[in-house]
Amino acid sequence: MIGGNISRWTMTYFAAALTWLLAALALMAAGIGHPATDVAAPDTLVLVHVICVGWLSTAMCGALFQFVPVLLAKPLFSERLALPALGLLTAGLIALLAGFMALGGRLPSAPWLLPLGAVLLVAGFGLVIVDLGLTAWLRPTGPARFVLVGLASLCTTVTFGAVFAFALAGWAGPVGDAVLARGIPLHATAGLGGWLTLTAMGVSYRLLSMFMLAPDVEDRQSRQTLAAGGLAVAAAVGGGAFAIGLGMGLNAVFSVAALLGLTCAALYGRDVAGVFRSRKRHHLELNMRMAMLSFASLAGTAVLGVALVSMGTLPLHLGAFAFLTVFGWLSGLVLAKLYKIVAFLTWLETYGPVMGRAATPRVQDLAAEQRATKWFAIYYLAVWAGTLALLAGEPSAFRIAAAAMTVGVIGIIHEIIRIRRLEDVAPPLRLPAGSVAPHLLFAKT
Amino acid sequence: MTAYLDVDVRPILRAGGEPFSAIMAALERLEQGQGVRLYAPFKPVPLFAVMADKGFAHSANAMEGGEWEVLFTPAAAKPAQVAALSNGFNFGAWPEPRVKLDNRDLEPPEPMVRILAAADKLEPGETLSALLRREPVFLFPQLERRGFRWLGGFASDGATYELTVRAPS
Repeated sequence: MIGGNISRWTMTYFAAALTWLLAALALMAAGIGHPATDVAAPDTLVLVHVICVGWLSTAMCGALFQFVPVLLAKPLFSERLALPALGLLTAGLIALLAGFMALGGRLPSAPWLLPLGAVLLVAGFGLVIVDLGLTAWLRPTGPARFVLVGLASLCTTVTFGAVFAFALAGWAGPVGDAVLARGIPLHATAGLGGWLTLTAMGVSYRLLSMFMLAPDVEDRQSRQTLAAGGLAVAAAVGGGAFAIGLGMGLNAVFSVAALLGLTCAALYGRDVAGVFRSRKRHHLELNMRMAMLSFASLAGTAVLGVALVSMGTLPLHLGAFAFLTVFGWLSGLVLAKLYKIVAFLTWLETYGPVMGRAATPRVQDLAAEQRATKWFAIYYLAVWAGTLALLAGEPSAFRIAAAAMTVGVIGIIHEIIRIRRLEDVAPPLRLPAGSVAPHLLFAKT
Repeated sequence: MTAYLDVDVRPILRAGGEPFSAIMAALERLEQGQGVRLYAPFKPVPLFAVMADKGFAHSANAMEGGEWEVLFTPAAAKPAQVAALSNGFNFGAWPEPRVKLDNRDLEPPEPMVRILAAADKLEPGETLSALLRREPVFLFPQLERRGFRWLGGFASDGATYELTVRAPS
């Protein structure tokens, strides 16, 4: 059957991802990890991996299992890999976090925890990469190319991470130790830049034009954007690995990568502006207005990066730069789109079978946008305040910002649960004869 | 006398495939003044509008077993004579659409809601046609679940998706 079925486990992925996001926010509000400790301290590693693997990667995988078949109008290579992949990813992340905590003396020493976590994560991401990669490979058009490059970057990220884990356990020999000593920027660039950013861009093209009734971004344009982004990641990772092999510095390599990255962000801005200009639907829904704040944060990230580099203070403020990238750009976009995707999928699952046979609510009737707006506003204001607090070196102000972000996210999650439970649909329309109430955590169809 | 390139989409459709791209690919191979002779397991009504946009006139001829031979002739050339309808035997033919929907400027998911509502009112074997802005990927599983068949593809402008839906007979 042509793609467009409801992915059974996408809601499960989203629920797991949001749980990890709450955990990350609790850690930040409690002052665990950066900025209280060094960027490379074990506590920071816990925090970073809760955010990047637990929250962002899990949410992204859940969204991709639903939307790669839609992007391609092809069924998923296998429906059966999604749930085992989630189990492996969750178990792997827990082992990895325990390994970091042992490293920092919060748990008894257990050197095998990190390699165990790495093996489980490799297996989990491996299933995701095989399933989505084979699906996209069969019809690599338009946005699907972004997903392919994103998955290739994910492979790179996971490979580096696995080498680090074995090196930290003392099982990777001198080569592993050398990679661990200098390869962390490569791991971070491949993960945040290649996997999360390029994939989010690719999926956003289709979601934006679908939800705003705009023609798709021209293939030629999106190809330029992808080329710049893909080259940036390739320059950072390939050039970086080469430089490490020769014992050279990484500055030259990262300057080239940064220029390409800026080009990619500018081209993406052009593409998105084009979609907004050519849209037929003039009223912007909440998820679009909030996505615009995320695009603004991406632009802010680019400006901040340029400013920090030109002042020579990027190493000092790496935490602030990464924070704005992760929470302003990526998390903001994912939260805004989750809000819409959950409403749409819930609507399709509940009312699809009776559509045309009984009166059904519209998708927007499932969501209470006005109530949700304030939670998003609190979230974004807190993220920007948190960035400023990090730049100003004010850890207490940062914890207050993190607490405010937690309030915003709890509000958003509450709204998403209400959507899933159809609580905002007027009773006569809520469950017409023949429709079945959705389960909170998975799709029944 | 117009020369014709033969395109047989019956095997593609029998295998559950989508014939539209094969037909469009054939058009790209045509020489100046050449036409297309299409073989299909039903009367490909939605294709007529697409081909008219591209400057082809059509003449359809029902064959035995409910299959159809359609000649698409460049509008400038003189259409070749085709045998008249043999015996009116048209099992499997898709009739002209009873309902025509233009859903191009509706906000999603309204196009899908209207198509499903209209499809539910069709008599057995009847068809409806709809114009859309994009491939309705979320509609297909719903149609399939209700036993409908469909045929669709982008028109030559690349911006309009033409969908024909047939009620189970």
